[in-house]
Amino acid sequence: MRPEYEKRHNGDRQTVTRVLEGDFTAFETLVEKYQGRLFRHLRKMVGDNQQAEDLLQETFLSAYRGLKGFTGNSSLSTWLFKIATNNALMFLRKHRPELIEYADEIKVDLDYPFLTASPEFADSPLEILLSREGREQIEQAIEALPLIYRTVIVLRDVEGFSLQEVSEITDASITAVKSRLHRARSAVREALASYYMEKDLSS
Amino acid sequence: MTELRTCKDFCKYLSDYLDGQMSADQRRLIEEHLRKCAPCELVFRSLKLTVDICCRAVSDEIPEDVASRLRAFLREHCGKDEVT
Repeated sequence: MRPEYEKRHNGDRQTVTRVLEGDFTAFETLVEKYQGRLFRHLRKMVGDNQQAEDLLQETFLSAYRGLKGFTGNSSLSTWLFKIATNNALMFLRKHRPELIEYADEIKVDLDYPFLTASPEFADSPLEILLSREGREQIEQAIEALPLIYRTVIVLRDVEGFSLQEVSEITDASITAVKSRLHRARSAVREALASYYMEKDLSS
Repeated sequence: MTELRTCKDFCKYLSDYLDGQMSADQRRLIEEHLRKCAPCELVFRSLKLTVDICCRAVSDEIPEDVASRLRAFLREHCGKDEVT
């Protein structure tokens, strides 16, 4: 286990022990620590701020009520993201089943990625890629992905979970996670490359 | 794993390569290919860039009103429950 990871992991476990002993302030510390990341993940999953807020509240309430079930085998963040992901999936199954039923459709040319490998994108400086406009493009490219691909790329590349953790959170095999990630990254790359190619042509 | 021969084969595994999911031999093959093949190198560079910027692009700031409603909600609901 990486030392930094171990330190964070043990810190969370100590806080969980305090919550289980009845210290509600300790629970609020955990909420403060994870609320931003969980809200971001839920927004990306359901695509709606109000719904993401409701799901965030449900997620922390479920976590509080089920805290004894947290065994410490995985990190607390993995455990919390799994609860949030399941809550979001339950909501989507009920209210937006089409997002799950057609989840496999992704438009990306995996056979000939060279057609959209643009130096305009690859050589763009970070201050342009991460400008307000650049960040909007990245967000849009991620949001355009079907749900299962969006979830995987957000968990791995935005949240920084390992492949193993993404597999635990999404209940999918590592092979499935790797394949979805490959397609998701390729689709985002393609979208960004096309955007910067067009931008270059029009300037 | 499929034999790595054509550019198409190599591109199929660039994501796994980025995640450190290849054996030392496979890594060496990919690195050799990327040194020789400009189109694949460009695909790889833009894929790596995509991964690098994704984590920096999406803010994890939570609006203050959302955080404050969450705090109030949890204080109201958790107070009534035992941690089980």
